Amino acid sequence: MKSSRVIAIVLGLVVAGCASARRSEPIAGPLPEVSREVESGRLLFQRNCNACHVHGEAGLGPAINDKPLPSFMIRMQVRNGLGAMPSFPEKDLSAEDLDRIVAYLETLRDHG
Amino acid sequence: MLHPPSRRARGLGTALLIAASLPAAGCFSLRPSQGGGETTLEGDPPIGPDAIALPDGYRIDRIASDLTFPTAIVFDDAGTAYVIESGYSYGEVWTVPRLLRLEEDGSLAEVARGGDNGPWTGATWGNGHFYVAEGGRKQGGKILRISRDGKMEALVVGIPSKGDHAVNGPVLGADGFLYFTVGTATNSGVVGADNVAFGWVDDDPDFHDVPCEDLILNGVNFITPNPLAADKAEVETGAFVPFGTRTEKGQKIPGAVPCSGSVLKMKPEPGAPVELVAWGFRNPFGIAFAPDGKLFVTDNAYDDRGTRPVYGAGDLLWAVRPGTWYGWPDFHGARMLDYGDYYDPPGRNAPEMLLAAHPNVPPEPTAILAVHSSTNGFDFSTNEEFGFVGQAFLAQFGDMAPAVGKVLAPVGYKVVRMDLETGLSEDFAVNRGETNGPASWLRVPGLERPVEARFDREGKALYVVDFGVLLQKEEKSLPQPGTGCVWRITRDPRALPGPLALSPRGVAP
Repeated sequence: MKSSRVIAIVLGLVVAGCASARRSEPIAGPLPEVSREVESGRLLFQRNCNACHVHGEAGLGPAINDKPLPSFMIRMQVRNGLGAMPSFPEKDLSAEDLDRIVAYLETLRDHG
Repeated sequence: MLHPPSRRARGLGTALLIAASLPAAGCFSLRPSQGGGETTLEGDPPIGPDAIALPDGYRIDRIASDLTFPTAIVFDDAGTAYVIESGYSYGEVWTVPRLLRLEEDGSLAEVARGGDNGPWTGATWGNGHFYVAEGGRKQGGKILRISRDGKMEALVVGIPSKGDHAVNGPVLGADGFLYFTVGTATNSGVVGADNVAFGWVDDDPDFHDVPCEDLILNGVNFITPNPLAADKAEVETGAFVPFGTRTEKGQKIPGAVPCSGSVLKMKPEPGAPVELVAWGFRNPFGIAFAPDGKLFVTDNAYDDRGTRPVYGAGDLLWAVRPGTWYGWPDFHGARMLDYGDYYDPPGRNAPEMLLAAHPNVPPEPTAILAVHSSTNGFDFSTNEEFGFVGQAFLAQFGDMAPAVGKVLAPVGYKVVRMDLETGLSEDFAVNRGETNGPASWLRVPGLERPVEARFDREGKALYVVDFGVLLQKEEKSLPQPGTGCVWRITRDPRALPGPLALSPRGVAP
């Protein structure tokens, strides 16, 4: 991969991060009908992530619903933590549950 | 044929991973705090509902304004609304606590006024009287009984409520008892420099948390400068003791009732004994019975401040089980504060356990809400005409960053609804804008700091008490008298979805 393409991708991600992250129901409308996996991910997100990223918006932590991060990077960050974010070990959040959270986050990203 | 990636390609991949993670990681330590109070007020605050978003089919109206630090609304048997003005705000601004009748034309008539022992934090109606929680910043907390013509007497006095948090509530139970709550004196059990800075130690050098039952300490002590000493010499302070007092491993702290961080109850008569319901809360500000009779409280969780800071602890909604300890100062929900790195403040170690043994393992909370959202007064929908029957509607006062810790964007400043069966919460009334925030931050007319959400007697309208503007200049709170108001949210078939949804949904047609 050429350096220019890498830079372009990174810049794209950063610019994408500037879009509005407002996703709550009164502003973006209710979530459309979703799969059971996404619905389950929504519950898991609420329990594990929402306190710092309400509806994926910024709060204690940064917004995470407006950035097209690949799912493997989301998993990596959740498992390892980064900066002020804690790490979520598998005993607290199984691989299957993490998949569900990622599926919900991707749905949230497209909503709004 | 596949080839292993070259070193250069691997390096680029790693750089990409790190760089692409930065927008999500947000470089927390490098970014300034962006709390909703960290703004300035230029001219008068914007007034009106124009920026408030609601679900389709609802409308919001501002029905009373120019209030100073309002904290609660209560309805008598006839359905007449009364508003409480606190008489005190963080920032050490003292006014007069008042009970005001809200007339139909939006004017206010004074029913009763208190002294200098605010804040008045909540009220309920029953047995032909108002019952008011007097926070007790100067004399300790009280529960007051006020007649319709303004005669006032204390049912109980001397509740330990000096320090960070006050006496809150009350609500009347079906059993005839009056239930109320007491917040803790400190953030996480230790009187520290933060409490000195707030002025609490100057006011009462002996103030500290009082447990409801005997506790045995681990003997953890914290060394801090003593701002009160001329030479700023360091002092050691342990848990549940006054500032500058050292504790030992195995030391017993005697319990007593009334106590800090508790839900208490009493018969609504002067001098009736106060009984313990549950304890181990931090600041159980909101208290309400669900339609099925279960008691719930909202609990403002730990801050990232003071001698023993705790990071990332979301506010909690608890179902209250009598006789249970709810974890403060060593747990958040059912999780110990030294578990993993969940509660480590950036660049610091996990909080040390203060107690040698815990009365019980705390139950799981009903819900975890946003960190620093200050989720306060709440009520349950009971009327199909309003909708969302059985769900809780919770007022979120909003963060007080940076005094409570840094945030990357304003948190709270809205009303959320909570499905207790699933634990899912959703915004119900929230300001529009590129980010969340109070009206003064967004510079739009809308919600500022909702502190109470309560339905009228019929359950047809949700009233939201808005404390008004409270700015934060670094650690100092700057409340703005006269900026509080009351909102009323109703179902309005005229506020239909469709092309009109392009207009602000909060505006009355």
